[in-house]
Amino acid sequence: MFKKSHPLQSRSEILLRNIVVLIMVVFFTVFLIVPIGIAFAGSFHEWNPLSGTYRFLGIENYLNVFTSQLFGKSMVNTLIFSVVVIVFRVGLGLGIAYAIYSALIKHKSFYRAIYYMPVVTPMVAVAFVWKFMYNPQIGIINQVLGTDINWLKNPQTALLAVMVMTIWKDFGYAVVMYMAGLYSLPGDVMEAAQVDGAKSWQKFLYITLPLLKPMSLFVIITSIISYIQAYVQILIMTEGGPGTATYLASYIIYDEAFVKYNFGYASALSFVLFVITAVFTWLSFRVSGSEG
Amino acid sequence: MKKRFWAAITAAAMTAVSVAGCGGGSSTAGGAGNTPAAEVPTEPFGDTIKYDPSVAINDGKDITVELWEWGSDELFQQVIDGYTAIHPNVTFKLVNNPWEDYWTKLPLALDGANGPALFNVHNSYHENLINYMAPLDIPTADLETDFTGVEAHVIDDKVYYIDYGMMTGSVYYNKEMWQAAGLTDADIPKTWDEMIEVAKKLTIKEGDQIVQAGLNFNDDFHQNYLLGLNYQLGENLFLEDGKTPNVTSDSMKKVMQMLVDMYQVEGIGSQDFGEKGSDSFGQGQSAMVIQWGHYYNTLNTTWSDIDFGVFEIPTFDGNPYAYNRYNGESTFGINKNAPADQQAVAQDFVKYFLANDDAQIAFCLAMSVFPAKKSLADNEQVLENPSLQVLAEHIDRYIWPGPMPSTMETSLKKAGEDIFFNGVDIDTALNEAQQNIIKDMASSSFESVENLYKYAE
Repeated sequence: MFKKSHPLQSRSEILLRNIVVLIMVVFFTVFLIVPIGIAFAGSFHEWNPLSGTYRFLGIENYLNVFTSQLFGKSMVNTLIFSVVVIVFRVGLGLGIAYAIYSALIKHKSFYRAIYYMPVVTPMVAVAFVWKFMYNPQIGIINQVLGTDINWLKNPQTALLAVMVMTIWKDFGYAVVMYMAGLYSLPGDVMEAAQVDGAKSWQKFLYITLPLLKPMSLFVIITSIISYIQAYVQILIMTEGGPGTATYLASYIIYDEAFVKYNFGYASALSFVLFVITAVFTWLSFRVSGSEG
Repeated sequence: MKKRFWAAITAAAMTAVSVAGCGGGSSTAGGAGNTPAAEVPTEPFGDTIKYDPSVAINDGKDITVELWEWGSDELFQQVIDGYTAIHPNVTFKLVNNPWEDYWTKLPLALDGANGPALFNVHNSYHENLINYMAPLDIPTADLETDFTGVEAHVIDDKVYYIDYGMMTGSVYYNKEMWQAAGLTDADIPKTWDEMIEVAKKLTIKEGDQIVQAGLNFNDDFHQNYLLGLNYQLGENLFLEDGKTPNVTSDSMKKVMQMLVDMYQVEGIGSQDFGEKGSDSFGQGQSAMVIQWGHYYNTLNTTWSDIDFGVFEIPTFDGNPYAYNRYNGESTFGINKNAPADQQAVAQDFVKYFLANDDAQIAFCLAMSVFPAKKSLADNEQVLENPSLQVLAEHIDRYIWPGPMPSTMETSLKKAGEDIFFNGVDIDTALNEAQQNIIKDMASSSFESVENLYKYAE
């Protein structure tokens, strides 16, 4: 598919290549491979780096992960959270991107910028603002809806409220990605469909959507990875509550490592989550038929 | 009037610190708060722990010492200024870290060769710090003679830090709401039953909806009620072994049931009204809250429009085993890995701080904590602070359980939320909390010091 890259010509080019590669290797080794190795070793220990505790436990931390009711509950929450947010992110992103892409809409850059603004706003800031909006006494959401709901303390609405905020913040990413995908569609295919008398919905369903499949796969995979790691919004908006109703898998890791200083158990949780993320990513490739 | 009062207190505290080290604990009136040159003491001062300013430190040679703390730069700087006025050869580098970063940066710094010689301590992080601390070079008996609660800090006959002040919960009430409800000082409740009756009068509803809560304990019920009122009923937070939590006790269930009834039966507040009790009071939505001493300063700085009063926490029968739990504000820690000459300065600085009444008062007023120094228990400046005044009569009737792991608070908070929001019954929720705490404390070295309570049965 690609042309073979042109061979390096001079010794200076080879030297430059080696330096760049060496820097990258050192960088990833120091800041990625080594920390992962330390965390993996730590997952078999009772480990608190702040007090200097480091005691071998074997696979006890992993056994605790798999027998933990809270971890099971948080995985269910994480699954619900991820599926709902990804479905809406992809659905809204595609729908709005297609609307902006259409000939009916002018000032496309303006809309693209508007939808992308929440994406570049820090999650911490967005979460605090939405937490205020959900306040049962002075929040704007109850005032607009005419309701009297304690959104973030009601177990029926707390996770839903966090999901709505996350969808609002993140769907702009999918809009921009799909717009890039739409602009790169081959014009001749569309013209051929037009000549053949295809209706708009037929063009969307049978041409646009299949051609956007690689982009959809990219958005879904990056979303899976991102949402399995989601915890900032939980930390700020609910702290996992009420009770443990909104615990997500990554929030437990935060809680164990940085509240209880139980780094060994937190590391074991991290590796279990890493495997789960890898499995879901692989499944996504399989389902889309693009694993190669 | 209230603002003038607080301004006077602050000025007094600032003045006191600016003349720190004037000897014998007597603050000289001549040192105005903005007077740069403090009078340098020449005679030894202090109670049992005495500080002799005539003794040179580091043989008079120049030395620099680092002190880490979170917030309160001015307060620390003023003590440093008092000390360096005596010892101009000592230079302090004051390093302020935000609270959130402090507790991860500090242990890692102490583990290295270049950590600070002195650092501010909070006992909730005891387990992460104690391995890096050097014991105080002051006889334990002297510490015990001058300060309350020292015995709870003795580890293998050594003391690494003590409390300079004790913080606990009191009731804060909105005076305007109090007056509007037709209440007077004579109505200040002594028992929980009286408290509920007063709260009913302070509660305002429109239909079924609360528009003013009589009492609000949202988001802090675990800190201010569950972990303390058990003592009123004569039960400790830990069993006799000092390690097993006792949160399924009848007392804990009774306290929890009282909280549930306050909202769901008496209707003096609601779990859905006012996200945080402390904020709700500050925003003028709730008439009463129980908060710890720091809240006094929060109200004066963040919600200065609220005209508030303070009274002592009610009891079940007027004759409690203890009134509540307290927690200590800790003296400085000394880094055992610091160079010997820096450690010597650090030891000397801590001794200066403990012997110096003005510094003690300034710190206690700034943090709104009751002085642990026994000679200051009836100090006028201290008793002018209403949040400390209400504690004075029964200050020896408060219990410190020791530096409890955070799981005690977080697990009970979850239990309370399960009860209030998730429909879980009290027994089940407290049982689950008990199991979580046991699991989380499995490798903890914590041991309760409730048995050291003066009136322990």
